[in-house]
This record gives sequence, structure tokens and C-alpha cells, in this order.
Amino acid sequence: MSGSEKPKPLFGKVLVANRGEIAVRVMRTLRAMNIASVAIYHRVERNAVHARFADEAHEIRGETPVAAHLDADAIIAIARSCGADAIHPGYGFLSENAAFARKVAAAGLSFIGPDADTIELMGDKISARNFAAAHGVPVAPSVQAQDDIDAFITSASAIGFPLLIKAAAGGGGKGMSAVRDASELRERARIAAGEAQRYFGDGRIYAEVYVERPRHIEVQVLGDGKGGAIHLLERECSIQRRFQKIIEEAPSAPLPEATRGAICEAAVRLAAAARYKNAGTVEFILGADGRFFFLEMNTRLQVEHPVTEMICGIDLVRTQIEIAAGLGLPLSQSEARANGHAIECRLCAEDPDSGFLPATGSIRLLRAPAGEHVRFENALEEGQRVTADFDPMLAKLVVWGKDRGEATGRMIAALRQLTILGLRTNIDYLVRVLETPAFRDGALHTGFVAEHADALAPAPVEARLRDRILIAAALGQRTFRDAITLVEEPYASMAGWRN
Amino acid sequence: MPLHLALDGEKHSIEILRRKPHLVLNVDGRIYEIPEWSAEPIGEMVLDGNTVAVARAIEDAGRETCFVRIDGRTHEVVLIDPREEFAGHDAARDEIHAPMPGAIVSIHKSAGEQVTRGETVITIESMKLQTALAAPRDGRLRDVLKKPGETFDKDELLARLEPADEA
Amino acid sequence: MRKIQSMISTMSADFRRNEARNRDLVAQFRERQERARHARPKRDLERLASQGKMRPRERIEKLVDPGTPFLELSSLAANMAYDGESPSASSIVGIGIVSGREVILRADDPSVKGGAWYPLSVKKIVRALDIAIENRLPMVHLCDSAGGFLPLQSEVFPDRHMAGRIFRNQSILSKMGVKQLSLVFGHCTAGGAYIPALSDYSVIVRGTGAVFLGGPPLVKAATGEESTVEELGGADMHTSVSGTCDYPAANEDEAILIGREIVAQWDRPRKWPIQSQAPEPPAYDPQELYGILPDDIKKQFDMREIIARIVDGSRFHEYQPNYGSTLICGYANIWGFKVGILANNGVLFNDSSLKGGHFIELCDQNNTPLVFLQNITGYMIGRDYERRGITKDGAKMIMAQSCARVPKFTVMCNGSFGAGNYGMCGRAFDARLLFAWPNHQIGVMGGDQAANTLVEVKANQMRRAGEEVDRATLERVRSETLAAYQEQISAWYSTSELWDDGIIDPVDTRNALGMAISVSSNAPLGEKGYGVFRF
Repeated sequence: MSGSEKPKPLFGKVLVANRGEIAVRVMRTLRAMNIASVAIYHRVERNAVHARFADEAHEIRGETPVAAHLDADAIIAIARSCGADAIHPGYGFLSENAAFARKVAAAGLSFIGPDADTIELMGDKISARNFAAAHGVPVAPSVQAQDDIDAFITSASAIGFPLLIKAAAGGGGKGMSAVRDASELRERARIAAGEAQRYFGDGRIYAEVYVERPRHIEVQVLGDGKGGAIHLLERECSIQRRFQKIIEEAPSAPLPEATRGAICEAAVRLAAAARYKNAGTVEFILGADGRFFFLEMNTRLQVEHPVTEMICGIDLVRTQIEIAAGLGLPLSQSEARANGHAIECRLCAEDPDSGFLPATGSIRLLRAPAGEHVRFENALEEGQRVTADFDPMLAKLVVWGKDRGEATGRMIAALRQLTILGLRTNIDYLVRVLETPAFRDGALHTGFVAEHADALAPAPVEARLRDRILIAAALGQRTFRDAITLVEEPYASMAGWRN
Repeated sequence: MPLHLALDGEKHSIEILRRKPHLVLNVDGRIYEIPEWSAEPIGEMVLDGNTVAVARAIEDAGRETCFVRIDGRTHEVVLIDPREEFAGHDAARDEIHAPMPGAIVSIHKSAGEQVTRGETVITIESMKLQTALAAPRDGRLRDVLKKPGETFDKDELLARLEPADEA
Repeated sequence: MRKIQSMISTMSADFRRNEARNRDLVAQFRERQERARHARPKRDLERLASQGKMRPRERIEKLVDPGTPFLELSSLAANMAYDGESPSASSIVGIGIVSGREVILRADDPSVKGGAWYPLSVKKIVRALDIAIENRLPMVHLCDSAGGFLPLQSEVFPDRHMAGRIFRNQSILSKMGVKQLSLVFGHCTAGGAYIPALSDYSVIVRGTGAVFLGGPPLVKAATGEESTVEELGGADMHTSVSGTCDYPAANEDEAILIGREIVAQWDRPRKWPIQSQAPEPPAYDPQELYGILPDDIKKQFDMREIIARIVDGSRFHEYQPNYGSTLICGYANIWGFKVGILANNGVLFNDSSLKGGHFIELCDQNNTPLVFLQNITGYMIGRDYERRGITKDGAKMIMAQSCARVPKFTVMCNGSFGAGNYGMCGRAFDARLLFAWPNHQIGVMGGDQAANTLVEVKANQMRRAGEEVDRATLERVRSETLAAYQEQISAWYSTSELWDDGIIDPVDTRNALGMAISVSSNAPLGEKGYGVFRF
């Protein structure tokens, strides 16, 4: 053995304040970095993969499983008691909760993410908008609702219809509604304010221009907290249903180079101005006319981060940990190169044929797709029960190809190879989306799913195939199988003989 | 009797014609010979040269569903329980009778309300024990013949469902 | 074991003539069978349909496992009795597979006079239960009968082996631990009520099934009490108040499903292990049997040709090949089961009788079931043979055959006359199952012989009475006697009287024997032992 020792790990122990596939994904990097991992789980998921994957696991309590994952004080207490020195919040849950970030810092632990102030700034959609506008980032014309509702109605109408009503404290696609014409505006505003209060605890709303056939383009940024920031190219997340992304890709579908450049540059400008620290994503909507507007900034790791990782050859979780540990940015802007194209599909427990209603059941059979350039990000195992306790996203399938065409083909093949049986999923639906000519041509926009609804309906099953399906189903049934095997000789060979 | 299954809302039937030397099945009148098939309820089987993944799942409503993934597409087949199919109209299935003498504790559903099979309609008490009386099937409650506190004899009729529609 | 070498030519004139005649006989058999099974007055079928009832064969087809064989017994019972009013004796009996298990089932046929029991119906049901007892076969009753046929009650009710024997047999079957299930599709009245009551399990169809010792009219006449069928003996009353029946069913389909589920609970029998191997079809085409059986009962043929078209691979191990050549003895396999075969190639002599007796003892010693292929006109008679003890030797063969404890099966391939019937395991000798081919004839002696003897007797009678006995009268008497006699020795007649368990097409013999041997192994072998052999 030579004299070099293993480098000391950046942290001794990190608690991952999350669950499911993202918890497993973060812990994988922790393991590779020789850092001990701590998982938290609610009673209903006590046998979950993420709890078993970690080096140690602790139970959290709450009225509901989600409530338990939002119990900041309890989580920090666990981190302290088990000697963790940092907390990674994943995405969702407490990842964009400024109060949580403050409490973590106050407890003497590192929060693997941006500063609490930045979270707060960007968490408030209105203040984020104003900040963006002040730093030359294009924002969609919008009007914030004040006490004078009539004034709001007048100025909102001035934006033009259709327009969007959004909750200031909302985000991630939640708390939004479209208004087609003036007659609806008063009532919609009233309802939206009520919902915002109920769901986000903050009844402020604002009205914003509604871009027709918008494309959702977002930029992955990294900041060093001292004003230095770079981008790792953009992602396109225009394929959505119910305002939730289901297919993301990096880089975006075909886009004028100048537009791409402008969007990425605007994102970096924003991150630098905010003295952003750690990883984040700046989201924009891009209209067909080439105008783009700032949507929001997500001060956390995104669900779809793997597509950026695959084209840039980088481990973003590792980068997050390094930045949190005080190391600077891993590379300079000029060193950030992209190669090929990556696509991610979110696999959800839902029924696309019934308005994407969430589905429940058990995972009876699981067969992961194999192959180079295929990542199946999941925390699934056979026998697992899928309930309505958590988000319906089951797993993510991410593939890389040397170009968009190859990536699409590879994703279709991987989806067809993937088998999750025992409950309804959107797997086949995703294949149909990827097979539409419009997708192949890159004619994407956030209304894609609705626009192509008819074409995306499942094709009828032809008779011969249907018979094979029926036979397979029958042979899967115990009583039927017994009826075949439990008839002995000579009767089995005599079959239906009559005298 | 043939096995009845439903796929995409249509009913089909499968019958065994022969077991040896090969399995031969009749699917809606079409004959298929299946030289190889595996005996597992979950897993892959080879059918007609293709690999088919099959998994059987029982939904909460007690319906037996089989998920079949073939040619990169998943299908859901409902296995129809022959007892459910052939069990016809029973007086027993339209009525709730007292299993023993006792008194009504509480009535949980009222006339005209929809009930599901197994849902508690009446709670009774007898010999210091409380028992929940459930709806024998899905349907609409026609009437409840007793009020809380009233007593009854064994086998006395306590509640009725509207006759089920012919499906 | 070597394959039998067939010596016949399928191109010969004899073969073709035989084939034409035998195919024609089989066609007649099929046509009679079709009528007995399916021809029913339209009115009766409509009545059944209006009651929501299935035809009994439909019930059976739904009860048995799909893709399994069904061996129907005595389909032509009563075909020459009661002016044809009781096809199949108003009853269907057969051996089949239900939920993977061997069962014998019997179904009343309500499309014939409401399923009323004629004397031969009772005989057929008693026989079915005897088969169940001898083979320890579970029994399923598909009950739907109006009860005994009143006009013939003296032949249905009082004697030892009449209706009462059904219930005695049910009790004994139960005592032996063999299960019985009754599916009550119609009325079980009077004695018939005991069938479900004596069954271990019973299912009754609501609305059409009923069980009562006396129906509403009888009750009203006897005591003045009025009640409906449902109140008196319907499904709900018996399954919730009296406990006489176990499961109510909303309709016939549900009753059959419940029945199948009940049978699926039954313990699989521990069979006695007959030596067996993988089965193999005969090397020669069984269809050739039609060309081998001669068109004249007096013509001889080689039974080896028959054996070659029944046994696995046509392979046969012949015992004492050079001795007693009029009786072929040897081992073979049928559907894989090892069997010992005795088959006639002429009359029985001293040597063939001794050979037969010895071979039967060998099979008994070897736990090998016996298959008798009959084509026998009798034992040899005459002074020389008597001096050599032909009667003793015949007796020894009968003694060995009667006392053998292995299962025995008999196929009447052609003639079965006189004492030869006895030695070769005729009806009286408890073959587990006994089948006949359509060309079969059975009598105390052959037709011509009988006719000649009877004519002699008649002529002497007439002479004693002082009557003129001329050639014309003799001829007339002769042909009348022969005609009557021929009718009574035909296979149609014998199967009508249930002297066998059914006529079968010769090509079906292999399957019938295969099933028969399989079900026979449900019963353990008895005690070994013989009576005194007169040496």
C-alpha cells in the first residue's frame, strides 16, 4: 500500500429528510463519498427500501405520513441525537422551507442547499418576480392583487386575456388557474384567494399573462454563495398533465441558439445577483414568438436533475454536498460541456384513461429495464403496497442518446421493457406520447397532452393478441391452473372422449 | 364450466379441451394449442414464442384482476367469479334479518341511501354483545323497519334493499 | 413383450364383407343410442324449459371437468321394454371426472314421464350403486324424479333388489367411507326423498327442487293439511330449518358450481397400486376390428387379432402358447395398466380349462386385473371328454375365476353361450364392468341349436296329441321359434335388460377398459383364497 490515505469525508453523517427514490439516490452518492447516511420513515413505510438502504434509520411520527415528513423540529432532533452534521432535504417536503433551513443552521448543522434568506426570497413568488425584474430578467406582465379588488380586476384585465391567476405562496404547478375572459375574473380571483389561504397559508394572489402554447424551459444553475454562478444548460419540461411534469429532457427540444443563450444567461444573472449558493433551477415559459418570461426559481434539487447529469457527466448531489462543505464550484462555465441528449419519464401510479386518477395496489411484479445509458431511479420492490399516503410518482426512468432521436428510441424501448404490474401506471401512456409525430418533431408546449388527447388514447387490441392476453390471464389464475394439472392419467390423455 | 373473463369491458370465456400431450384451450370458440406454459401465477411465461409477463392482483373490492404485459403493453383482465355470476336473486340478498333476539342500538343508513356490500347498516345488541349487521350486497336501502331502542325476535326482518336491477 | 403379428389381409373379400356388416351394426347402434339419448316429445322439453330446468345431459356436461372423458353405462337400457316409453330407463349413469376426481354419477331424466322410475330404472340405479360399492367410487346423484312408476309398482317396490336396495346400498356405501353428493333439481318424493337424505352432502335448487316423503296433494288427502311445495319441502326450509339439505342454490348453474366445489373438498382416494407404465396406443388400427369380426356367429376368428387392436403397442406376452390353444392367455398393458387377458379361440377343452384356471391363479398371485374377451359356445361335450373330466376341469376354472380377488372386466366380443359364459366371467361373476359389442349374442345355446331342439320338443308334443306333423308345419314352427329366440339373444335385448353395463363400439373398448381399470383401483384387494378344487 502506498502512503496516500483516503481523503477525509466532507461530512461524517448526513440525514436525508426525504423518502422514496430521491432518498435512495442521495444516499447512493453519500455512500460513494464515504459519508454515513441516516433515513427517516413514517410507520406506514417502515419496511421501505430507503429506510433499509441507509446506514441507520429513525421513525418519525405525525397525524399523516406527510405531516410526519414536515415535522421540522422532530427531524432536526433526530439529526442531532444521531450525530449527523448535515441534512439533505431532497425535493418537496421541507426543501424550500426557509424556517426549516434556519432551524437547521441554528442547530449547528449544515443545510445542503441555499441560504434561508435566498429560499425565502425565491419562495415568495411575488418577491421573486420583483427581484428578477430588477435584475433584467424578463418577467411576464402581472398584477398583484391588493385589498382593492376592483383595481385588481381593472389592471389584471389590462394584461389581456387569457390570463393566469396564481398564488404568491404556491409553486411547483400548484395554486394556478386560467381565466378566459373578464366575466370570470372576479369569481376566479375570489376562489383562488380562498384556496391559496387554505393550501399555502397565504391568501395573496397575482394575475399574469397567459402565454399560448408555452414551452417550459428551465436552467440548472450552481452558485458559490459569493456571487459566482454557472449554468449547466437548460431542460425542457413541456410535457405536463395537471400542471405536473411527466417528461423532461436536456437539452431542450430544438430551440434557436440565440434564445437558448439568452435564457441561460438570464438564469445565471439571477443566481449571481441573489448570491445563490448550491444548486437551483430557474424556470421560464417560452412563447412561440420567442419571448420568454421568468416563472419561478426552485431553490433545491429538481426531480428531473438526472437528465442534466447525463448530458454533463456530473453528479449534482455530489456537487451539492461539496458546495455545502465549503468547496467552490466544481467547474467553470467554459468547462461545462454538454454531450448528447437525455430524457426522463416520471412513472406514476395513475390511470391515464380515467383523467389520471391516482391508483393504488401492490407491486406484484417488477422487472427493471437494463442497458447502458439507462437509469431506473426507484425505491421499489415486489410486494410493496402503493397507497394514497404519498405522491403517486413511483419511479423515474432516464436515458441518454447521442441525439434526441436516439434518446427517444432508447426511452421507448426501455419503457416497453419495464414491467410494473399490480396496479395501474402511466407507462404505456408515456410510450404513446413519445411515439407521437409531434413529440418527435419537437412541437412541444405545456398543452401537448390535452391537444393530442385523442391520438393518445390506447389503440384497440386486435383479436389474436386479445386471445393471448386472455390465455395468459387464465393461466395466471390458481383455480384454472389446478383444473389443468390436477386431472390425472389416463383422463388427461383421453380428453373429451365420449362413448 | 368455462372460465369467464372481462377485458376492456367485454366478456370472454375460456375452456380446457385437452391437457395431454399438449394443453388445448377454446377461447370464445377459437382453438389454441399451448405446448409450453409455466405454472407460476407471477412471472414470465412463453406463449406462442413471445415472453409474456403476468401478475395477478386482487383489488380491494374482492375482484380478482390479472395484469398481463405483452408486447410492451399492459392489459387488465378481470376474472369473473362464477359464484357471483350465477348466484341469482335471493331473498337473503335483499333482506337483513336478526340473527338472534335483541334490541336496536343504532341505525347507520336511512331509506333511499346507497349501501355497499359489507357496509354496516344496523348495530344491534343481544346478550350484552353488540353486533354489526351489514348490507348483503351493493344497492339502495329500501327501508329500515325498526328504530333505536326497539326490540326484535330471532329471524325478524329488520331492513330491506331495493331489488337489484338486471345488469 | 413382442408385438402380435397380424395375419389378416385388410384387402380380402372376407375382411370387406365383415367390415361392411359391422359398420352397419355400429351405425344401427349409434342411431338407437341417439334416439334413446335425445329423442323426446316436444311437449316434455318445453315443459322443462319453462320450469327453468336444463336437460339432464346438459347438467352432466356442466358438472364434469371440461376436456375429460365420460363413460356412459347402459345407454340402451329398456330399449326393448315398455314399448320404448322409457329410453335409457329414464336414467343416465356414467363414470366421469369432477374436480379432478373419479366419480360415478347418475341423473334422473325428467324429460321422460317426469323422470319416473320404471323397474329397469331401479335396476340401473341399483347397479350404479353396486359399481360404487365394489369400486369405492364416490357417487353424485342428480335428482329430478317423480318417483316410482305406479302402474308397475309391483316390479319397482317390494323385492330384495328393487327400490329399497337403492337406499340400502347408499347406507352401505356410506359405511364404507365412500362419499355421496345429491344435487336436487326437481322433486324427491317418497322413497326418492331418501336419496338426498342418505347422501353426505346435498344441494337443492330454490323454486324447483323439493324433498318430502309426501307431496302437497298426498298430505292434503291424508291429513287435510294444505301447503305449498316450497313450504313443505323447498330449498329454504330444508337448508335453514330442518337441515335435511345442506346448500340452497338460486338456480341450476349455481347448484352445479356448489356441487363441484364440494367434490373439490373430498380427500383424494388412496389407490391400490396396479403395476403400470407409460401408455401407448395399439400398433394396429382399432378400426380394423370391424373387418375381423365375422358376419356369422358360427364363423371362427383369431382373438389375437382382437387383442392386437386393444392393447398398448399391440404387445402381448402369451402364457402356455403351445397348450390349450382354444383359450389364449397372456399379459399385456391397457392404457399403461398391466392386465391378464383370457380370450376364446374355440370351445373349451380339458387343457384350455386347466390353463385358464392356472392363469387366473397366476394373475391373482401377481395382483394383475383380469380381462375376459368372450367368444364362447361352450365346453366340449362327449364321452371321451367326460371320461377325462371335462366337467371337473370346467368347475375348477369357474372356482378359480369366482374366487380371484383381483378386479375382473369382461367384454362380450361375439357369442356367449352356455356354461362357457360362466367360466369366462359372465354377469353372475361380479366383473367390475361388463361391456358388449353390437354383434354380441347371449343365450343358453346358439339360435339354430335352440330352434332345432325346440322344434323336436314341439313335434313330439304334437304327435302325442295325435296331430299331423308335416314338413311345412315344422318349418313354420322352426322359423317362429328362431325369430323369437334371435330377438332374445341379441345384444339389443341383453342391454335392454341390463345384463351388461352397455353396448360399446368395438373401437371404444380400449378407452372403456382404461377407465374401468383406473376406477377399480380405488378399492383394495380382498382376502386371497379359493374353495376346493375338484382335482
